[in-house]
Amino acid sequence: MISSAGFWVESCLIILRDDPFVEKRCDMKCRRVQKKLSAYQDRELKPQEQEEVSRHLLTCRSCREEYEKLDRVWLTLGELEEISPSPWFYPQLARRFKEPRKRGLLPALEHIFQIIGAPAIASIILVIGLAVGTYLGSSLARRDLSPSQTNPVSDSQSAFFASMSVFDPAPPGTFAEGYLRMASYGEKGPR
Amino acid sequence: MDKQLPNEELMGRIAKGDECAFQILVERHQVSLLNMIYRFLGDRTKSQDLAQEVFLRVWQGARDYSPTAKFATWLYRIAANLCLNELKSSRRKRWLQFFHAYTEKQTVGEEDFPNGSPSPEDSLLARERRRQITTALQSLPENQRMALILKRYDDLTYEEIARILSCSVSAVESLLVRAKKNLQEKLNIL
Repeated sequence: MISSAGFWVESCLIILRDDPFVEKRCDMKCRRVQKKLSAYQDRELKPQEQEEVSRHLLTCRSCREEYEKLDRVWLTLGELEEISPSPWFYPQLARRFKEPRKRGLLPALEHIFQIIGAPAIASIILVIGLAVGTYLGSSLARRDLSPSQTNPVSDSQSAFFASMSVFDPAPPGTFAEGYLRMASYGEKGPR
Repeated sequence: MDKQLPNEELMGRIAKGDECAFQILVERHQVSLLNMIYRFLGDRTKSQDLAQEVFLRVWQGARDYSPTAKFATWLYRIAANLCLNELKSSRRKRWLQFFHAYTEKQTVGEEDFPNGSPSPEDSLLARERRRQITTALQSLPENQRMALILKRYDDLTYEEIARILSCSVSAVESLLVRAKKNLQEKLNIL
């Protein structure tokens, strides 16, 4: 009884599915159904919704075409072949789990490097370089203050000279000044 | 030992150091796990290494395993995390290579595909077709790709995928909608 009723419903739907009037009425539903097509394909809708979409697909050509596209994607993905594990898969694995876990400084450093990454390490190197350069520059400049040490000047005079030094292309105490001094040592030799 | 033992039972034995139970578990899941990783990374050698790494974690973490969820979900979760880490670290390696003015072209090579098609012409066409599919799959964003692989090849439910990817069921649904739409465009299914 149920199966014959089902047969009649199915037959009517097949007759109606290409009817333009039926398709017009479907337009209202289409947007809602098309949102559900992916879940319908994955059989993730509730049974009632699943049934509703099935019925709609029988009567609506545009939704049916959309569904067919999804189906083709699914079939195309099925063309990818399966790979098999190599014959040494388990023996290699057994060797790996039997060997003691790596401990020590090197794996720990590797781990730290993986976490913080190369950009962070580059920044640290840059900061260290700047600090060393500044220290080097200031210590070389201090060494060069020997004439002022032999002819002592008053505090106000030294403050004035110090303030004027900002107009130098390489003010004392900077990395640039240190670099220029080092370059001049190369030419003249150390004093 | 009975090879039909359920995963949870095997895990209990592995926690006590039973290697035989571990071998049964590996043999049961190695093909699906290896293929899931391979489809995600597109590199055969790396997939073998990573699949071994996943099983190694299972061996090491067997004592902490509690059978609250399906074993496969737990296994795939480990695999998904390792795959995402692998992608991150390979991106970092690429950055370093760029830094050293050394470039390495990372393509899906033909050697990555298994041989065995009947005629040379068919084989060539099939290879080209598989290359296109793999390239399209690889071009998807990581989460979309992972969700699609778990649904298409492992037939997991949205709920299981959500647990693996640590997101909501509705997020999985929208990931899959977008992944399918992207693949339609990339594979010219219009």
